[in-house]
Amino acid sequence: MVWGPIEGEEGAFVLISILRRSALAVGLFIFAGAGFPGVAVAADSVDHSRFKVLRKPFKSGQEVTRACIGCHSDEVEQVMKTKHWTWEAMNPHFDQKLGKKTVVNNFCIGIASNQPYCTSCHIGFGWKDNSFDFTAQENVDCLVCHDTTGTYRKPPGLAGHPVYEEMEFPPGSGTILRPVDLNKVAQNVGKTSRYSCIACHSYGGGGDGVKHGDLDSSLQVPDADTDVHMDALGLDFACAKCHAATGHDVPGSRYAPTVTRRGAPPQSGVPEKRNPAICESCHGSRPHSVDTVAKIKPLPGFTTVAMAAMVNNHADKLACQTCHIPAMARGGVPTKMSWDWSVAGRMGPDGKPIEEFDAKGHKIYDSKKGAFVLGENVVPAYFWFNGEVKYTLLGDKVTKGSGYTPINQFGGSPTDGKSRIWPVKRYRGVQPYDPVNQTLIVPHTYGTDPDAYSVSFNWEKAAAAGMASAGAPFSGKVDFIRTEMLWPLNHMVAPRANTLTCNDCHNPRNGSLSEGRMKNVPGLKKGPLFKSGR
Amino acid sequence: MTLRKPLLVGLAICLLGAPLLARAYEGDWKRGHVYYRMVCTECHKGQPCGVIAPNSLTRAEWTAYLQADKHAKGKDSLKTYLGKPFRASIAGTNKAAAKFADVPDEELYADLKAFVMRSAKDGDAPTGCR
Repeated sequence: MVWGPIEGEEGAFVLISILRRSALAVGLFIFAGAGFPGVAVAADSVDHSRFKVLRKPFKSGQEVTRACIGCHSDEVEQVMKTKHWTWEAMNPHFDQKLGKKTVVNNFCIGIASNQPYCTSCHIGFGWKDNSFDFTAQENVDCLVCHDTTGTYRKPPGLAGHPVYEEMEFPPGSGTILRPVDLNKVAQNVGKTSRYSCIACHSYGGGGDGVKHGDLDSSLQVPDADTDVHMDALGLDFACAKCHAATGHDVPGSRYAPTVTRRGAPPQSGVPEKRNPAICESCHGSRPHSVDTVAKIKPLPGFTTVAMAAMVNNHADKLACQTCHIPAMARGGVPTKMSWDWSVAGRMGPDGKPIEEFDAKGHKIYDSKKGAFVLGENVVPAYFWFNGEVKYTLLGDKVTKGSGYTPINQFGGSPTDGKSRIWPVKRYRGVQPYDPVNQTLIVPHTYGTDPDAYSVSFNWEKAAAAGMASAGAPFSGKVDFIRTEMLWPLNHMVAPRANTLTCNDCHNPRNGSLSEGRMKNVPGLKKGPLFKSGR
Repeated sequence: MTLRKPLLVGLAICLLGAPLLARAYEGDWKRGHVYYRMVCTECHKGQPCGVIAPNSLTRAEWTAYLQADKHAKGKDSLKTYLGKPFRASIAGTNKAAAKFADVPDEELYADLKAFVMRSAKDGDAPTGCR
């Protein structure tokens, strides 16, 4: 028997297989279980605490990464090709470079000049300005995704570094952050989890649940009502169950959404290039069986077979999410529905910045950011969507008018044969723009330097600094423009009993769609009569 | 017969070596989170005291609370609510209690402790009611 380093699940399986064949297996397993509880589950994740290279004190994240690279050089190269590292993506339908490095939104607006704060969610160390070295492997942060201790975090303002020395955060708050135990975290790396993904993806836009509407901290330990797939006492799906990565490239980006898939679901074990992070990957394109439909009250005159066919036919025009995500922000965490930057800068009686909160303690005003409107259990807006999304980028001409300037626009129509009606978070903002150049502005919103809006409360200075960092022209004038951004909903899938029913969309008296959720969706025809309702 | 000797050797290693190398159960903070969220918080929602967020107390305060083992201002023991009899009593209506019905009391206590220490106001990952 050769005892060497065991790397990856395959190695662990080999070890267990050998042990099982040995007459010593019984005794050794009892022994191992008593002394090392983790060994019994070695097949799930390699016990990194056994590796000498990780049994030493680390002073920085880069030191840990150098240790990781010793065994995982291929993996680091894979990571550096992904959007998680580059923050760049090409629009598959339009000639647009997207990604967090490039796009403008109506939350925190853009990363130019604000990198030390935004990049607390970058899978790297040290992206504090435009000089960041994207070619340095040691800058890759393995721990932020693979920590299993729940102790690794990267506060805003540290350019993607964790806390190395005790510090007060936020400054002046009296709250002391203790340094992360890099040695412990490195020895306890494992598969990604809801915790590791949510740490960033639920906190976009500056706080818990702010951005997406269907992603917030309630998904760490959700019940079935919040998400039937991630239900901690049920299926308990990790994010990676659907967002199954290949070579560290995680599928399911909203920069390249998959709206529909025809045909049979993929066969288990058969590799394919299609996006697996869609409902049809498991449920197929005609997911409602006679058995499942038999559990709901049939419409008058419908057999269960006819009911199943009728509901499946809806799937041709409705995304699964439309019926199965009846509302967003259902886990007890509100999502931001609008953000008005134009009213930022209002001070308290003492001339100092203020914060205001609603009756539930949620912040609704901040002198440094403006005013917010929050929502829980919000009914989505509905759009025909064919998967094409066109963005308004920095430099694109925008016109101030009575309506909302789109930050992104969904393609789709009732007649193109490839669109489906999709539930969407319709999020609105009022944000700075350049009235002379007629472009959106990326301001230097946050920082400790005198140009940051959070310090100067001067939009012209903040805009000049931000646009200079972005390499974009700025006239020196700042005005505000109303904008709208669309966020397709995919998570917080409700249990069957809580899905939409016929009457949520069809008027029970005449089948009309004019009074239900779809009343503003164009191109819908009068539906059948549902005298008894459902 | 050929298996007898190696088996005895294995068992001997187990009996002699395990006490030397065995280490205390450290607590599974994720399981503690599930219990805190699905049992403690669910019950507290209907109580006058309301829900208690893990990050409403410091690590020192949580440590003192756990050591005191006084629930409801001393009316009963905190450990009562982590014990198998309590879990069995609510298993019909609480899925978490049912799922963890057979977890040893001391393990569940360690799980909960690991979670509140991590999630305290001054913990490594302060956590609210969620």
